Amino acid sequence: MEDMYIKPGNQERGWNDPPQFSYGLQMARGPQRNLLNKRAAPAAASGEGAPPMTPPSSNPLAPPPGGVALPPLHPARPPPGCVATPPPLGPMRSQREADSSQSESEPDVDAVVSVLNRALAACRQTVKDQVCNDVAKRLHLLEDSWRSGRLSLPVRRRMDSLSLELQTGHWDSADEIHRSLMVDHVTEVSQWMVGVKRLIAETRKLSPELLEPLQKPSEPSQDPADPVQDPLSQS
Amino acid sequence: MATFPEYIAQNEERDGVRFSWNVWPSSRLEATRMVVPVAALFTPLRERPDLPPIQYEPVLCSRATCRAVLNPLCQVDYRAKLWACNFCYQRNQFPPSYAGISEVNQPAELLPQFSTIEYVVQRGPQMPLVFLYVVDTCMEDEDLQALKESLQMSLSLLPPTALVGLITFGRMVQVHELGCEGISKSYVFRGTKDLNAKQLQEMLGLTKPSATQARGPQTAPQPLSNRFLQPVQKIDMNLTDLLGELQRDPWPVTQGKRPLRSGVECTFPNTGARIMTFIGGPATQGPGMVVGDELKIPIRSWHDLEKDNAKFMKKATKHYESLANRASTNGHIIDIYACALDQTGLLEMKCCANYTGGYMVMADSFNTSLFKQTFQRVFTKEVQGSFKMAFAATLEVKTSREIKVSGAIGPCVSLSAKGPCVSENEIGTGGTCQWKICGLDPTTTLALYFEVVNQHNAPIPQGGRGAIQFVTQYQHSSGQRRIRVTTTARNWADAQTQIQSIAASFDQEAAAILMARLAVYRAETEEGPDVLRWLDRQLIRLCQKFGDYHKDDPNSFRFSETFSLYPQFMFHLRRSPFLQVFNNSPDESSYYRHQFNRQDLTQALIMIQPVLYAYSFNGPPEPVLLDSSSILPDRILLMDTFFQILIYHGETVAQWRKAGYQEMPEYENFRHLLQAPVDDAQELLHTRFPMPRYIDTEHGGSQARFLLSKVNPSQTHNNMYAWGQESGAPILTDDVSLQVFMDHLKKLAVSSAA
Repeated sequence: MEDMYIKPGNQERGWNDPPQFSYGLQMARGPQRNLLNKRAAPAAASGEGAPPMTPPSSNPLAPPPGGVALPPLHPARPPPGCVATPPPLGPMRSQREADSSQSESEPDVDAVVSVLNRALAACRQTVKDQVCNDVAKRLHLLEDSWRSGRLSLPVRRRMDSLSLELQTGHWDSADEIHRSLMVDHVTEVSQWMVGVKRLIAETRKLSPELLEPLQKPSEPSQDPADPVQDPLSQS
Repeated sequence: MATFPEYIAQNEERDGVRFSWNVWPSSRLEATRMVVPVAALFTPLRERPDLPPIQYEPVLCSRATCRAVLNPLCQVDYRAKLWACNFCYQRNQFPPSYAGISEVNQPAELLPQFSTIEYVVQRGPQMPLVFLYVVDTCMEDEDLQALKESLQMSLSLLPPTALVGLITFGRMVQVHELGCEGISKSYVFRGTKDLNAKQLQEMLGLTKPSATQARGPQTAPQPLSNRFLQPVQKIDMNLTDLLGELQRDPWPVTQGKRPLRSGVECTFPNTGARIMTFIGGPATQGPGMVVGDELKIPIRSWHDLEKDNAKFMKKATKHYESLANRASTNGHIIDIYACALDQTGLLEMKCCANYTGGYMVMADSFNTSLFKQTFQRVFTKEVQGSFKMAFAATLEVKTSREIKVSGAIGPCVSLSAKGPCVSENEIGTGGTCQWKICGLDPTTTLALYFEVVNQHNAPIPQGGRGAIQFVTQYQHSSGQRRIRVTTTARNWADAQTQIQSIAASFDQEAAAILMARLAVYRAETEEGPDVLRWLDRQLIRLCQKFGDYHKDDPNSFRFSETFSLYPQFMFHLRRSPFLQVFNNSPDESSYYRHQFNRQDLTQALIMIQPVLYAYSFNGPPEPVLLDSSSILPDRILLMDTFFQILIYHGETVAQWRKAGYQEMPEYENFRHLLQAPVDDAQELLHTRFPMPRYIDTEHGGSQARFLLSKVNPSQTHNNMYAWGQESGAPILTDDVSLQVFMDHLKKLAVSSAA
């Protein structure tokens, strides 16, 4: 479940910066355990009784096994302490993601770009040119970044899933993946992701006939509407 | 009937209310002798996912000075279709739509399990949410880049119909026009001038907005956006680019930030709007400046304030207060995200967040997980998919005749609504029975203080119970207007004959927080040292009234279980950053107090008396005393202060960790031991807002000081050898320990000279 993780905070910029949850982990709603809300009862009266005695650890250095009490020499002993239940499985998509990435295969940039471009083509009929051109500009950025190796594997994988969701008309899932990418990998994706977001928003509004070319199984890069060279794209 | 703890928990669960006393003294005189006033912590929008929304308007009492909502305490005559208001005894006719009700067919609002009920009312058009980003550009590139990315990310979290706008400021203030065309335009204002709404309207070319016709019925849908505020779905690409292009302010000095609030004011009065200000440093120009631009003169500290040596503070505070008042009048929320290594002026600006219910977040840099995740969590959604944040709320309190409301302490402002429920004795924001809370979420909690007004020796009121109704009207994030009504009652008792039942009903946790909020309020509005003395006096009086003891015999003193934790809470409150300011900057104190005054009881209690859990091989994790004796070499401690989550490895554990035993397969137990508090901490981190600091430390580590300063110093260098063998970790401090404090307290309580 590569999208459910927690990584350390930025200790250079903020002292004691807390760890950062991935979007997937943050969204996962485990059972609400009301944790750590108990207080120990105080001693009955003041000054009564010394605090509990424990043998002082007389050896300042960590002794090797066999020295001062190293409890772990009881392999049968169950691990004490509340081993918190691992975070529950994320939403379905992570399952699907794990499935689709099967044997760690590299997502195909052509397939992804093709889906996105077909969606854009479908939109051109009803959506304003300016908007479509803006989206196209960003899809180019995405493609460039991908081909020049600037996108990390998690991002590529999730874009692959996103394109699948888009193709099969699962708009909410696609949207959710876009959000997770914006949250977890904003530095890599912010330049072009808003174009994908817009694409999802516009595509879902299209009437079903217009969506047909999108939903057909992918044909190798034959894309009539694709190469709209945006005159402003050199920015 | 359940025990009191169960009763208290059930009521909190259902109604979001915790009273200091759950049986009320029936006379005013006796009530004042209780020391702790009858008061309530109330969470208006406590999460109730099980509550079915009622799709009709609430039925109100017809008496003009009452207007209470029909509730389970009302007596009903089903045949005559009449109901009697439990507050003013007026008899009311049911509306025609209730013709079909009967004993076996009761409307939801009469059922006891719906003491809290929520109505969904639709009057007028659904107003969109407005989010205005106000961004400081005077900060390091790395910080600005991180901030830009967070803002871009947030656009993905907003609903498509929300309206967004952008104002940036540095030496100048820029109001950005959000067109869809290729060119971005902005209007530039000098940071030093203060403009009023009218001037700004003219300059920005905004025609007189139809929205100022406020409450009138809207016939045609009005154009709900203008050049500066546009729906996300329309301009998200442009705005993302615009944000991406923001440059660091080239001027070497820092900001002025003045006319921007007028911008929202003239376009959207009375709609839910969130003005999110992102601040990277203190203001050094204009009427809100908090420090001069010479670096050698530092920003004011508590010492400066004590000596009245802070020359900008008063003027700046006044300026921000007037801004805050304007915003709250219009129902706008002001959030402050202040990320800088030094102070930014939260002391002066705190009213902006506190009056409007906005958030105050304090971090070292925008490029920290603390800021990024906290900001992300502002946009948390509930299960149904709408934001947890709510807007433009008003809270009204109605009471039975024998009790009146003295005031509220929390993120609200007064609506100056006089009425029969309003007491003349004001506490906090008083003199009103209605308050405005522009921004709130499911944990926002107000403290409300009441006064029993029944005269001494007047008979116990008919029915024997006093009632209070809380009516919260608000804009749900989906755009719907909703009304949540909570009606609750408690028994009266004659304090002269039934003091035991009153004592048994004491909720020490609620009482501690209610008194704490009072103390903090006093500290902020009056001078420091008197507050501690006042707090001590109240505690002594409470002990004298409710303790069991023989006069002048301190050792005989006993407190019943319902009071047993209260002195400890007070002890920790006295040492807390809320009342001890000299270890923190004025900004930090303002920040801590801001959080304290809005969080619910459980979180507030953690802030006053942090929770400490111990992990060891001796058994499952257990809560331990917040005491130096709890610090032992073979244990790991997890401390939660709300603002920090700290994991401390005892000396032996630290040595084992350093030696790497956790890597060895035969010491898997040890690896699990190390992991357990980390996992538990993660659970806390998962939901806490704002994100706390996270500290991993060990015996001898410099960060261990956060633990050492919180624990009761029962062992100090002064008394270390008193117990014979050394155990626990002695603290180097001259602070009085809990034991000494309790000894003094008992002595004073039993003294006949008091």
